[in-house]
Amino acid sequence: MDFVLQQFITGLSIGSILLLVALGLSIIYGSMGVINMAHGEFIMLGAYGAWALREFVGLTLFPSLIFIFIAVGLIGALIELGVIRHLYRRTLDTILATWGIGVMLQQIVRLAAGGDLRYVQMPPSLASSVSILGVSVSAYRVFIVIAVAALFLVTWLLINRTSIGMRLRAVVQDPSIASSFGIDAGRVRTMTFAYGAGLAGLAGALVAPLKSVSPEMGTGYVVDAFFVVVLGGVQSLFGTVASSFILGQLSGVLAYWQNDTIAKALVLLIIVVLIRFRPQGLFVTRVRT
Amino acid sequence: MSTLLQLQDVSVSFGGFKAVRDLSLDIKKGELRCLIGPNGAGKTTALDLICGKVQPTGGQIRLGDVNVTDMEDYEIARAGIGRKFQIPSVFKQLTVRENLEVADCRNTGVFWNFFHAPGGSERSLEELAEFVGLKDHLDEPAEYLSHGQTQWLEIALLLAQDADLILLDEPTAGMTAQETRKTAEICLQLRGKHTIIVVEHDMGFVKEIGDVISVMHQGQLLAEGSVAEIEKDKKVREVYLGTSGISHA
Amino acid sequence: MATTVNFMKSKMKTKTIMQIAVYAAVCLAILLLPLYAQDDFLLNRIARYLVLAMVAMALSLSWGYAGILNLGQAMSFGIGSYCMAMALKLRTVPVHTGTEGLPDFMVWNNVETLPWFWKPFYSMPFALLAGLLIPALIACILGWFMFRGRVTGVFVAIITLAAMIVLSLLIIDQQQYTGGFNGITDLAQLELFGIVFDAYSSNTYFLVAISLTVCLFLALALTKTKGGLILQAIRDQESRVRYFGYDVALYQTAVFGVSAAIAGLAGMLYTVVMEFASPTFLSVQLSLSIVIWCAVGGRQSLLGAMLGAILVAGMQGALSESEVFLESWTLIMGGLFVLIVLFLPNGLASLVDIAAERFRRRQHDATTQDEPAPSAELSEGKL
Repeated sequence: MDFVLQQFITGLSIGSILLLVALGLSIIYGSMGVINMAHGEFIMLGAYGAWALREFVGLTLFPSLIFIFIAVGLIGALIELGVIRHLYRRTLDTILATWGIGVMLQQIVRLAAGGDLRYVQMPPSLASSVSILGVSVSAYRVFIVIAVAALFLVTWLLINRTSIGMRLRAVVQDPSIASSFGIDAGRVRTMTFAYGAGLAGLAGALVAPLKSVSPEMGTGYVVDAFFVVVLGGVQSLFGTVASSFILGQLSGVLAYWQNDTIAKALVLLIIVVLIRFRPQGLFVTRVRT
Repeated sequence: MSTLLQLQDVSVSFGGFKAVRDLSLDIKKGELRCLIGPNGAGKTTALDLICGKVQPTGGQIRLGDVNVTDMEDYEIARAGIGRKFQIPSVFKQLTVRENLEVADCRNTGVFWNFFHAPGGSERSLEELAEFVGLKDHLDEPAEYLSHGQTQWLEIALLLAQDADLILLDEPTAGMTAQETRKTAEICLQLRGKHTIIVVEHDMGFVKEIGDVISVMHQGQLLAEGSVAEIEKDKKVREVYLGTSGISHA
Repeated sequence: MATTVNFMKSKMKTKTIMQIAVYAAVCLAILLLPLYAQDDFLLNRIARYLVLAMVAMALSLSWGYAGILNLGQAMSFGIGSYCMAMALKLRTVPVHTGTEGLPDFMVWNNVETLPWFWKPFYSMPFALLAGLLIPALIACILGWFMFRGRVTGVFVAIITLAAMIVLSLLIIDQQQYTGGFNGITDLAQLELFGIVFDAYSSNTYFLVAISLTVCLFLALALTKTKGGLILQAIRDQESRVRYFGYDVALYQTAVFGVSAAIAGLAGMLYTVVMEFASPTFLSVQLSLSIVIWCAVGGRQSLLGAMLGAILVAGMQGALSESEVFLESWTLIMGGLFVLIVLFLPNGLASLVDIAAERFRRRQHDATTQDEPAPSAELSEGKL
């Protein structure tokens, strides 16, 4: 029993991080159709933000989060205004443009902060481990699960229960009709992109204490996040949650059965097969076009 | 005359909604059949079913002696059904000539095509372009054509394809009165050589070209007959209630 | 009337002849380069860029002409390079090997006998064929799997990317058979028909240059066939092509396979030029770089994609002596790339088209002054 629980918690922990890094991407991809390859770099910026605020300002992780969210969100808004805005009709080209942006961000950070690995300290209050039904778990990982749940809830409420969310849904359905009803589609998109970027920044700051921080750290995350989003179904936030959970558990189990590398390869293979048979995602029902 | 296309009790539903139910049609060889009906009657879906874009959930579709019900769309095309879509869909980056080359699909084999240059029948493609008035645009990319020209290019594509049965979905949509007349002329010239099914809203156009009209309503066949018969039909009048009959629809 | 038609036809032909002439001129320049650059070190470096140009050209064939955005192009490249590396490893002098010619890294990993899938690589013809056909075969299987299911656009990108990552993970994981992270190093020199291909020699340069030329013209010929036209039609309106009776999946799979075979050949040459094979040859980084080269040069032009690779990779290489240069170059490169995507969706090659269009318009304006514009009126001609 302990073993099953241990496995479940490992999977949940992996899944929560997947959801954390995928949430911002899911919103941007789902609502704007933009495949944001710079998402990994937004995560990286968040992680460096946490490091820099600690190093130069002396701020601890929690108060840093708010500044990181705002700063990365602003960068996202600028990128949307400068580049993404002009590519709405060319979905595949957004892959290329955002990849170019990612390369630039990576390089700017490398030039500014150097290529060395950096470390972000875990908040001391969460450095210990707690016991859940007899299984010992790192308190910080429990905190991440809770934080992700909270972020998801806030996002869901924003989209489904606020007027800005309603405007966003209108723009997603039909930008030209939404515009003719007086919705500034451009502004809604800028804000959405900024919000997604901000979330990525938060994700970066939150995972920073678990991993070493480097300019290249985003590349791995963006690929994982992308798989999560596509598997979950493009326009389904709950799909993203479910697919993070499934992929997390799957990785946990396969990693126990084989090693990490083989587990990753197997998960990817499963993703390939799933996408082939359900390109619309696992959790989206087919509608008449 | 023998029957070319036969639909027997064909139905399809999308997530519980029956877009077409128990539709039966009998199209004779060389016939020009008009399919009309109010919005949402299932006309376009009926064409989708015939050309394999949508798989029927019940019933049978036969082209001559071949059962095409469960065939893939490209297999149905090979069996001899060509389709013009409501939204003009031509190959925008290709020139008019290249569009016609692609449509000339007597040999669909992948090996054959990778070892042969296009233009086996240059002459007839030029005649086709001339027929639809695009001769002077042969080497222009299709994206530069006007809306009407794009529609005609699509018709030329169907002719190059030389399908036995041609499905036209609103060929005059967005055309000026003059362009509509020209399109009707083309349709009339095609009659006899090809079997044609036209979905149309424009009653003037239907009157000009139609022999037999089938009226659809809520996914079902409501009435079938000549223009005069349909105009008198009581059920059809009810469906078009408030518009005083289809002549003013 | 007939004269106008002939004129049009000849115009089309002139365009093709011009294209062939330009392609041939570039290839000739590449082949003649050793006359001016006799430094073996420089030749090796240029040969490297030419190999990369070959992969970019292969991607242009599938992406630019058929609309298949393959984010895993480096997979075929990597397989090719490993095939060559395995064959060359088995030809090394016994100094580098264990008992009975066992590769050194296998000895270190306590492997006792050569695994079965290494054995055929004793035969060079087999290795050469494998380097071409294994990538093509894998691409055809993957292509068949995707295109039968009518997977398009982004989903093709994801599946190809995932497939490549799976393979590179397997190579890294199976260290005892593949050399893992280190790859396969300390290789013998390729010897074909009595000619030795030292990486730093004009022999190798010519091998690469001739291969590139042959592949470029084969690819060009392919695009000029009816099948090439159908591929472009698929790129524009995939579903419409089906209603003409073409089996779209077959065409896509075919071009995907051809593109993979060219990439595999490039991979083999890369091993000869670099003198090793490594998992970085099938990395996400390289794969995306190939896409970038292609996009910068012009995805819809084989030559454009090729020159894009030489330009970008060449600049990067030239600046790599200094760390600061390289890093600021990468930054500039990223910015440049964004600008190209925004303003020149068809890459630098479209500059040629834009110039040609300007020229054509100017000529057109000149002629229409004496001649009334042809009327677009529908002619009453019979079918």
